[in-house]
Amino acid sequence: MTGSPLVLTDVTKRFGAFTAVHRLSLDVPEGGIIGFLGPNGAGKSTSLRMSLGVMPADEGTIRLFGRAPDIGSLRRVGFLPEERGLYKKMTARDTITHFARLKGLSAADARARSVELMDATGLAEFKNTRISKLSKGMAQKVQILSTLAHRPDFLILDEPFSGLDPVNQQVLEDLIRAEHARGATILFSTHVMEHAERLCDRIVMMARGRKVFDGTLDQAFARLGQGASLSVEDGYDLAAALAPKGFEAHRTQSKGHGDAWRITLAPGAGAQDALRAAIEAGAPVTGFAPDEARLRDVFVSLVGEAEAADLDRADAPADMEAVS
Amino acid sequence: MRNILLIFRRDYLGYVKAWGFWLSLAAVPLFLIIGALFMSFANHSSPVRYYAVIEPNRTYADAIDAEFARGEKRDIELARDMAEGMNMPVAGDTADIPPLTSRKFIEVPAPADNLDGLRPFLMGEATVSGPAGDRPLFAAFILTPDRSELEYWSDDVNMDTLRYTAESALRDLSRRTALRKAGLSADFVEKAEDAAVTVPARRIRSVSEQEAAGGEVTLADRAPVFVAGGLAYFLWLMIFSIIQYLLMGTIEERSNKIFDTLLTSVRMPELLAGKLLAVFAVTSTMMLSWGLFAVGGSAFAASQVPEASNVIAPLLAAIANPGILLPAMVSFILGYIMYGVIFMALGSLCDTIQEAQTLLSPMMILLMLPMFAIMLAFKDPGSPVVDMASWIPVFTPFLLILRMPHDPPVWEVVAQMLLMLATTLLVLWFATKVYRAGAVNGAGIGDLGKMVRSGFRKKAA
Repeated sequence: MTGSPLVLTDVTKRFGAFTAVHRLSLDVPEGGIIGFLGPNGAGKSTSLRMSLGVMPADEGTIRLFGRAPDIGSLRRVGFLPEERGLYKKMTARDTITHFARLKGLSAADARARSVELMDATGLAEFKNTRISKLSKGMAQKVQILSTLAHRPDFLILDEPFSGLDPVNQQVLEDLIRAEHARGATILFSTHVMEHAERLCDRIVMMARGRKVFDGTLDQAFARLGQGASLSVEDGYDLAAALAPKGFEAHRTQSKGHGDAWRITLAPGAGAQDALRAAIEAGAPVTGFAPDEARLRDVFVSLVGEAEAADLDRADAPADMEAVS
Repeated sequence: MRNILLIFRRDYLGYVKAWGFWLSLAAVPLFLIIGALFMSFANHSSPVRYYAVIEPNRTYADAIDAEFARGEKRDIELARDMAEGMNMPVAGDTADIPPLTSRKFIEVPAPADNLDGLRPFLMGEATVSGPAGDRPLFAAFILTPDRSELEYWSDDVNMDTLRYTAESALRDLSRRTALRKAGLSADFVEKAEDAAVTVPARRIRSVSEQEAAGGEVTLADRAPVFVAGGLAYFLWLMIFSIIQYLLMGTIEERSNKIFDTLLTSVRMPELLAGKLLAVFAVTSTMMLSWGLFAVGGSAFAASQVPEASNVIAPLLAAIANPGILLPAMVSFILGYIMYGVIFMALGSLCDTIQEAQTLLSPMMILLMLPMFAIMLAFKDPGSPVVDMASWIPVFTPFLLILRMPHDPPVWEVVAQMLLMLATTLLVLWFATKVYRAGAVNGAGIGDLGKMVRSGFRKKAA
């Protein structure tokens, strides 16, 4: 490959007076799994569509494999759009074959690849079934397979988990990991932070058309004050015991089985370091719970609770889709 | 090119795999076969009907019989004229040829001499004997005592053929009687008509051509006009046929939200070209199938009438004439693209079939305008209206084809082809914008005006 598959520089998109994407710069490193996070309306889909040349940018430059998006560079990309759509009267196998051929595979290769993918994902018995006869989840799997069929170097998946039940979400996660293991770079958008936490080595957060964070998961969590909770037998002064080790401890409440303490971690230290320090100091530890920092908390810290609430609202339809 | 073919292939197979396509394909030949069989059956199954004439002598009965005979002679002469027009062999004397169809009304002797006596026969309660066996009397003509009317009595008041024939017979009888009273022979009018100087059509040619081919107008002289008219009508029919394909096909893709996927695989012009080509192929398949059906029918007819090649050869020669073929092909291709992309772009702005159906009526009306122009041009190709209309881009593809047999100035032909090309490119440019706005960005019919304004403003800038 030739370095970054996708580079956006100061890209802006307006719809009338509304600015959907404002001066977005993004460099997608080769071989990574990048999560593009934010609530609905944050500008994720618009950014992805501009990245592929489906929609022109008003300002800024876009480089896909080192050049403006064109059919040549797009052949190396597999794109799953947010708004799913297939030809309802085509069979599952013909659908995958057709899109693979459009991406440059020969007829024989495309047919063989579609059978291979359907066999691998449990769709073999449906290969001659029309899309209109498939369940929504299965049709979505067919579309995902159509995206992967030509073995793209770069996968762009717009809300890939939306509409899938938990079992199929897991199947998709496995597929993404497999594609990554094959060497593909993956950029996917989602408003469900848990997927990004499980899959990504880097995340980009968007809110109201602006990029609010771009970095690794560790860097994201580092923005939060990390800590842990420790319980010790009643009356033990944990603050005094940990102070020499560089940890700050505050008694929070008594649960009847000892005192609960909130530990603020020293810079660069983890929750396990605090536990180790307490034991070494001879503290009668009865309980331990490291803070479980979530990307949602990071997002809240970046944009505020009101903006983050949009994430929760965005979750609702996805859940309903999964049920339907 | 590969992507165009892939889009074409998918769309084409999508159309031809649908039941509706096969029903449409079968409908026309079936309609023709069933229609022909029905007509033939109706003709043959039409019963022989008896009628009687009550009069003191056979004046009116003979006049009616003579009128039937004249009608049969007219049919034979009409068939002869058509055969001669197509350079086909004809039999010797008309009088020697038997009637083309058997007579359905036969006069029988009246079973009674008054209406009361005839009533049971006319009402089907009694039958009379005749050449076709015993049957009820279908009708009776009764001359009134003052001889002012020949009353027509029948139980079936909707079947007027016999009455009309009688009226015609009596008019002829009256004319002959008046001529005789004036001292003129009965066939005076016919002799006068036969004596008139004829006005045969002659085609002016160069001296050498005239020496070789003579001056008579043959089918070869008329074939270019027939061919041009046929091509212009064929183009119109093709465009008329594709409207719903282009509208509905685009709506399906818009509602299936498939454009983002497609546009990351193919270029917009490739997508449009593939889709246009597919619809063109679908309609061509239909026309070709119907054409093969017609050729099959013609081949069968030719096997019965070997001289049918006299008709086919001049038509083929006219089609192969580059002076007609080249402008016709240019007009056909550009006209098809121009109209096709307009319909496709409009389809891309519709979310539902109902919404598209509201567009169908105005589109049909829009397409009727070229049809009127075709009819006018066919009737009077030299009309100044046709000349002017041929410079209006929506009419040019049709009218240029129709004008070609009449040798318009070369500069006009070239200029009109360039005008068509420029218009097609302009329409293509704007339709692509509309298509992209509709298909990719979800614009609707209501946004069309805005797109027109912004499109041309940007172009002007």
